[in-house]
Amino acid sequence: MTHSGEYIRVRDLDVSYDGITPAVSALSMDVAEGEFAAVLGPSGCGKSTLLHAISGVVQPQSGTIEIAGLPVGAGRGDDSVPIGYVFQEHRLLPWRTVAQNIAIVLRAAGVADDDVDPRIDHYLEMLHISKFRNTWPLRLSGGQRQRVSIARALAIQPAVVLMDEPFSTLDEVTARVMRQQLADLWQRSNQTIVFVTHSIREALFLAGRIFILTQGPARLFDTIEVSVPRPRRYEDPRLTELEAQIVEHVMDEWGYGANSGEEPRE
Amino acid sequence: MTRSPETTQNLGARLRASWLDLALGALGAGLPVFLWWIGSHTTTFVPPIGEVIRAIPDFVTGEDIWPDVLVTIERVAGSLAIALILGFAAAYVMHRGGLWGRVVDRYVGLMLGVPSTIAALLALYVFKRSEVGVYFVVSIITFPFVALTLLQGLRSADRRLDEMGDVYRLSTPQRLRHVAVPHLVPYTFAAVRNEYAHAWKVVVLAELFAVNSGMGARFARAFDRFRIVDAMLWLIIFMIILLGTEYLLLLPSERRVLRWRGSGMEGNR
Repeated sequence: MTHSGEYIRVRDLDVSYDGITPAVSALSMDVAEGEFAAVLGPSGCGKSTLLHAISGVVQPQSGTIEIAGLPVGAGRGDDSVPIGYVFQEHRLLPWRTVAQNIAIVLRAAGVADDDVDPRIDHYLEMLHISKFRNTWPLRLSGGQRQRVSIARALAIQPAVVLMDEPFSTLDEVTARVMRQQLADLWQRSNQTIVFVTHSIREALFLAGRIFILTQGPARLFDTIEVSVPRPRRYEDPRLTELEAQIVEHVMDEWGYGANSGEEPRE
Repeated sequence: MTRSPETTQNLGARLRASWLDLALGALGAGLPVFLWWIGSHTTTFVPPIGEVIRAIPDFVTGEDIWPDVLVTIERVAGSLAIALILGFAAAYVMHRGGLWGRVVDRYVGLMLGVPSTIAALLALYVFKRSEVGVYFVVSIITFPFVALTLLQGLRSADRRLDEMGDVYRLSTPQRLRHVAVPHLVPYTFAAVRNEYAHAWKVVVLAELFAVNSGMGARFARAFDRFRIVDAMLWLIIFMIILLGTEYLLLLPSERRVLRWRGSGMEGNR
């Protein structure tokens, strides 16, 4: 897939939480409409901060972010595009049932009362969790909670879905099933997704394009097109080969090269 | 279906725990009765159990006891409600910090260090044995404990849920209704359950010393007139109301409101 257009447009972004220590520095990137883009970087490099800035929760020190031509910023107005967010942890309200958790964000997004229940049913069905409609989140497994979190993000029918390492806290088998379901879901919906991860294999399996960041403060190090056709297999040898190339490519930049002073790990 | 050894072990452990609970409960209820029985046989001021039991029908039907019981319940509920409002306000100010936060923090710390009896007597002296004095005393003594419990709730609020609210543009009323208030509910229950018994003690103490109505006043009157059986019956009513409210009202309400807690998948099967 060739990526053109600037549906999400980030220019010269500088973000700092305390105003002194930069978390993101002079970062520019474009994501096309309907693209599945991954943002790859070492732990703690500022990937999540980038997503926070794109979502408008964090105000950048300088630079601009636009989604569908509209500027993004803290205290977004009603005219800005709706954004779905899947966090690293599910962030569901434990005192509300699965359906109530989704209903709350639907009502906040201004969905008409008559449409709330049908939409909840539709997205729970899509993620194969209909039977948990009236269940409390604490009674669900980690994978089920994360499915609810994804259903919540998709139910508001957002222009963009931001995903912040959503499978990193799950066991490997559950994570693989979830990745496969997400890939299938994206192929059916063609939703614009920005997926943050520190797993090269995960990025290669899911994304059409990978934005590789530097160690913190995050800057854009390189962009890689993943041309392996879909549907992909997680064990595909072409992904293995690409993974090895990327490891080789980022080794110095992420602080594990010959001149970095880091001891290789056993 | 065969049970795994682990399941059988868990079942055995749960049964043993249930028996232990039952035995401890029986011991807890039986020991005071046993001490009462010994007391009634060795002293003159403790009435025999049988005599007290025989006096119950006349006491609960013949005498005009219920208005006094209701007055005391009203005082406890009213002052506890005031303590909750004051406690929440104090917790909020302490949580926000700043000069006022520090001032309230010092005051709450000071009040926690003052014995309840001393504070009650001083306050009743200042308020000249008025009805307002009773409410004031109970509220002022219990609210620092409420404030501390609610402060813990405010401090443990999950910042990540606020971020979720930011991302999904929850309005302030929605945040209050779905995020802030439900988070504080367990702490409010803890505060009410802790301070409920405390409030009862202080109200009855205030009634003993300062006013002519309520269970404390009736208990004092019975004691002054050497009507020891009546005094004992007032004590029993006091305990029944206290324990009844705890086990029949507060605990079931808490379980119902906090039913979302718990783990495991049993709810889905």
